Amino acid sequence: MKPISSGRFDGLIESLSRGAAQLTSRRGFLSQCGLWLVAASSLPLLPVARRAQAGEQSAPKPARKFASEFANHAQTNDPTRCNYWRYCASDGYLCACCGGGPHTCPPGTSPSPTSWIGSCINPDDGKTYLIAYRDCCGQDSCGRCACLGQEGDMPSYRPQVNNDIVWCFGASSMVYHCSSAGLVGLAE
Amino acid sequence: MRQLAVVLALALAASIVGAASPPAASGSNVPDVETRRSGLQLTPMPRTAQLYATNCQGCHGEFGSSAAEIPTLAGRVGYFTRIPDGRRYLVQVPNVALNANSDADIAAVLNWLLATYSRAQLPADFQPYTASEVAELRQARIDVAASRRRVVDALVAAGQIPSADTLALPYIVLY
Repeated sequence: MKPISSGRFDGLIESLSRGAAQLTSRRGFLSQCGLWLVAASSLPLLPVARRAQAGEQSAPKPARKFASEFANHAQTNDPTRCNYWRYCASDGYLCACCGGGPHTCPPGTSPSPTSWIGSCINPDDGKTYLIAYRDCCGQDSCGRCACLGQEGDMPSYRPQVNNDIVWCFGASSMVYHCSSAGLVGLAE
Repeated sequence: MRQLAVVLALALAASIVGAASPPAASGSNVPDVETRRSGLQLTPMPRTAQLYATNCQGCHGEFGSSAAEIPTLAGRVGYFTRIPDGRRYLVQVPNVALNANSDADIAAVLNWLLATYSRAQLPADFQPYTASEVAELRQARIDVAASRRRVVDALVAAGQIPSADTLALPYIVLY
């Protein structure tokens, strides 16, 4: 067929569009297009890969409901995460992320002789344990794994059960480094 | 094929070892990353010990003594019950008087800590605190330092302690 356009660019476009018109069918294009539209919109509805998409929230679905909201989302295996069950009232940097353990101080710091004692529910056996929140003192703030648990935390006018204050009373230095959570005992 | 047999044998051995080791979740083993392996078992604390732990132990220590800043209970606190003013003082110190627990619980934990940490210092005719006594005494709001000084002086005057040094608090230089 003789091209009707005169310019070189127009000719190129004309030949491309004529080629496309000759090679493809309009009905075929519409049906293909519709198929892809339906497929693309229905694919996320299939029951595939929903767990991966939902991420961590839906994975450990708490079977039991505890009185403590913290315990409902707590775990007992990883002391470097904020939802480790003993941290229900820990406010500060986790010693487990700073070179120490959940109840040990990192090298170069010393445990404060004073602590405040709260209680946390262990999500695996549902029992309540007493936990001593003891600050490690003597080095500048660790800065890793900042966590804020507030179970049983009282306002600072009840300082003996308040976690906003630095618990380094009696330690060789009042400089706060990190917070530890030691197991004291099993509550009645 | 031979490698497969070795792998299978190892897997079988591992499953037998796993079955033979003590069950981790039995009894009252604390289900925790640190205690699951050690098999730590805890028995529930008596109620009074628990009251002491959650209300007093953080500062006064598991054995009744702690940092220099905190008055020592062990071998000392019983002296206060030797005179009426001292007996009152132990209920009227702010952290006892203003405590959120009931009068009965406060009486119970006071009697428990006196008997546990300072039995030798109690008078021979020591009468345990009662809930109604605590209820009445804790109404008062005292000037702690002045009251304590008065009680210690009275104990010395009554010949109950050799000198004020027996119950002295260290002079603390923080900075």
